[in-house]
Amino acid sequence: MVIVKRKELTLAERLYIPEVLRGLRITLGKMFQPKSTRQYPEEPIPSTEVTRGQPRLAENEDGTLRCVSCGMCEIACPAYAITIDGHEIDRPIEREPERFEIDFLRCILCGFCEEACPKEAIWMSDELELADTTRKGLIYGIEKLKRPASALQKRIDYVKRINDRWRTFSST
Amino acid sequence: MTVLLATFIKAVVIFGALVSAAGLATLAERKVSAWIQHRLGPNRVGPFGALQPLADGVKFIFKEEFVPEGATRWLFILAPAISAMAAMMSVAVIPFGGLVTEIDGTEIYFSIADLDIGALWVVAIGGLGIYGVILGGWASNSKYSLYGGLRASAQMISYELPLILSILAVVAMSDTLNLREIVNIQTSGTAFGFLPNWNIFYQPLAFVLFVVCTFAETNRHPFDFAECESELVGGFHTEYSSMKFALFFLGEYCAMIVMASLTVTLFLGGFSVPYWEEAPWYLGVAAFVAKTAFFMFLFLWVRWTLPRFRYDQLMNLGWKVFLPLSLLNILLTGLAVSL
Amino acid sequence: MKITVNGREVEVDPSKPLIAACHDNEVDVPNYCYHPGLTPVGSCRICQVEVQEGERPPRVVAACRTPVSEGMIVDTNSEAAHETRRECLEFLLKDHPLDCPICDKAGECTLQDYTYAEGQSSGQSSEPRQNFEKRKSLGDKIVLDQERCILCSRCVRFFEEVTEKPQLTVAGLGSRSRIETFGDRDLTGNYQGNITDLCPVGALTLKNFRFKARVWNLVKKGSTCGECSRGCSVSVEVLRQGEVKRIRPRYNEQVNRWWICDTGRFSSDRANPEGRVPALLRGYSGLEACEVEDALDSVTSAYRAHDGHLLVVSPWVTVEEGEALLELAASLKTEPIFLSPTPSELKDDLLHTGDPCPNRRGLMDLGFIPKSPEEVRELLSTAETATLFGERIVELIGPEPLDELPTSLRLFLFDVSGIDAPAIAVHCGIASWVERGGTWVNIDGHVGRIQATRPAPAGVRQPLSLIEGLLAAQEAVQ
Repeated sequence: MVIVKRKELTLAERLYIPEVLRGLRITLGKMFQPKSTRQYPEEPIPSTEVTRGQPRLAENEDGTLRCVSCGMCEIACPAYAITIDGHEIDRPIEREPERFEIDFLRCILCGFCEEACPKEAIWMSDELELADTTRKGLIYGIEKLKRPASALQKRIDYVKRINDRWRTFSST
Repeated sequence: MTVLLATFIKAVVIFGALVSAAGLATLAERKVSAWIQHRLGPNRVGPFGALQPLADGVKFIFKEEFVPEGATRWLFILAPAISAMAAMMSVAVIPFGGLVTEIDGTEIYFSIADLDIGALWVVAIGGLGIYGVILGGWASNSKYSLYGGLRASAQMISYELPLILSILAVVAMSDTLNLREIVNIQTSGTAFGFLPNWNIFYQPLAFVLFVVCTFAETNRHPFDFAECESELVGGFHTEYSSMKFALFFLGEYCAMIVMASLTVTLFLGGFSVPYWEEAPWYLGVAAFVAKTAFFMFLFLWVRWTLPRFRYDQLMNLGWKVFLPLSLLNILLTGLAVSL
Repeated sequence: MKITVNGREVEVDPSKPLIAACHDNEVDVPNYCYHPGLTPVGSCRICQVEVQEGERPPRVVAACRTPVSEGMIVDTNSEAAHETRRECLEFLLKDHPLDCPICDKAGECTLQDYTYAEGQSSGQSSEPRQNFEKRKSLGDKIVLDQERCILCSRCVRFFEEVTEKPQLTVAGLGSRSRIETFGDRDLTGNYQGNITDLCPVGALTLKNFRFKARVWNLVKKGSTCGECSRGCSVSVEVLRQGEVKRIRPRYNEQVNRWWICDTGRFSSDRANPEGRVPALLRGYSGLEACEVEDALDSVTSAYRAHDGHLLVVSPWVTVEEGEALLELAASLKTEPIFLSPTPSELKDDLLHTGDPCPNRRGLMDLGFIPKSPEEVRELLSTAETATLFGERIVELIGPEPLDELPTSLRLFLFDVSGIDAPAIAVHCGIASWVERGGTWVNIDGHVGRIQATRPAPAGVRQPLSLIEGLLAAQEAVQ
């Protein structure tokens, strides 16, 4: 057990007024120091490649989705936020999502979908803002989710780099 | 007739100024607290957030009026009115400026009324304000509110004595209860040859006691036991909402302004401009506003610096330190005056 | 005969190959070309296990082509067996496309499972992958993906041995071998769908299930097919508690073994009817939605007000519902009748009986009298009130004859989905065969259980609860 002896107060401290003045001096000094407030909507939160925002679907350069609706993200999602229905298309890759919905009220931004995706189609973007007046409005469909792959390039490069590093480690 | 009209105009101007100053004080409170905490404070409504008090007012009006079950309804509604009214009434005798003009041989001064018992009036009417707190706390039918009201009454009794005794020291020195006379005495001459002839230089102990007691009187930090958010939720106004809540706050800020004005009047020469006896009346008013503004700032500054006292510390300080000190001060003042 | 499998002595059937002996004793042996219902050919070589017979050193053999012999010692997990299987998989995967994310078989594909189990993640071949036709239509039911095919020839043998009308063959030689139909004709027959179940990979897939669902999202419940009086055991597969996406056969030695006809398989499309309603009541502006209780009240008050009742039940009602309906018939003092349409031309030698009455035997045993649609129509023209009860009764009588009935007849319809015939006074929706439980007895007397795979739409009641409601009202009167 540690016995902490209370410090004996000096007369000036016991008089209290000098200590009050000292405190007032400190707070007055703080008033003129630079503010640390971020003016949020005008000053956005800085995003880095590590930023794990809302998942988005990557589009190829010809405007087609990379997603083949394999359902890996759907089953990996711990919050059951993703719902996918596929359908057949004429391209050599025979399948595409007909419905791809992420319920952002459920999404916990864990990034499991990104990890699970075998087609490099879903990526955690740096988009984080989420607001709507209805619950339905926060269930995003394909139109709201798709982004050109170039818009997600920073994250794509980062994830690939990390994965490569992991592969090199595991092979040695 | 003209005198009546002049009084009416003065009343409107001074009350208007008081209420808008109270509104500004709420903004200042938020701004100062923000700056002290490295924040920016309200800055969205109007330039630099200047219209924030207006937005707050609109919000308060649209909030739900609520009377808790089991509350004494008429007392519950009356309490915030008493609180605001007392603070606003005591402003009547504060001299804000000197002689403005002369109409039909009547001298018009810049104060609503020049009572010969001005100091007594302020103490008496200002002291009523605490009834609002006590009644509000008691009528709410809530244990938190009741505790808040109880503490407020105990605090009131403990700190009204040193407050009045320190005023008494000034009164004894000035030989008058009329606040304008007290200011006039401080206007001419110098203290110790080079300082303005202000009571603060003759009565430093009374000044310190008075200022600390005003904090307790207005329920401000570090003596805000009537509210005491961390223990009593909101103290006496836990159950209040909407405009009734706003009235309590208006009362609190008005009381702060009155107390700051009183401090200036009693100890800092009121509307007198230092080293310039013949200053025009509007400069006098400006000087008064500047001095009062400093004390208002002190109220905010102290609030965001000091933590709240413990209740027993408050009582110890009041009865064991302030009361003997103020009695001692009266004794010394009496000796000095009689000599 | 006794053999030792993985250190455990077991009793085996000498007429079956070694792989069947292992499977019967809950020892897993991988297999592609082997199927218990087909002749083993030993073409895929994935079922290799280590076997020691007598004093000879252990050797690795294909379990599907090896007969069991007394005292055989089998090790399915030996180093050598795993190594052979791994090498075999490498060859199978050499030309197999990596389109599992697209493939419908993913999740129930044994090629996936065994690859995962053997842990082979890369191959040594530097040859380019061979390309075959990927979306080859084999008629209106089946799609063939020749790239995915591992040439197990189960589909070929199915048509040769089960339907005995060969339609598929392995065409080409060596590495160019592929599955084709004779002369590129479309597949025919009522049993094509079975080859998609047989296919161990995603080479043969159903057109109507293509890309409709991921198989691991399907909720599967064992049930019984109602398309004919055979009552094949099936598994009903529902996506997200909603639509029935597919119906597959369930092994039943006595009834259907591993097979099911396409009529039953594609009845999944009919299991999701539109416009389900709890109850409709005839009002001034036609049939109007109402509470089920009000509909039942209207029915029972009509029972009280009129004589000459007629009760016709559908052959789709279960034995349990049939018992309750018998009571109802007794309280109405009418003959219990069930609708027995004439057998259709779908009858064949394998499974389909052509008789669209899944519970014919059960109802007959309960004492219901079979009447043909024509006889029922005749009875309807003389009755004052008529109660038509059970799933598909409108379809089996025919919507046109019902439409022509006079409005003087008070017709009470209890069916999954109804029609707007002028004679119908009340229509009560009922739970369909994928939404209720019960028993059907098939034509040979085998009991088939049906199970609720998904909940009925909101407000739609179980038939049994509706009959009980009617009975309670009848008893209250008496």
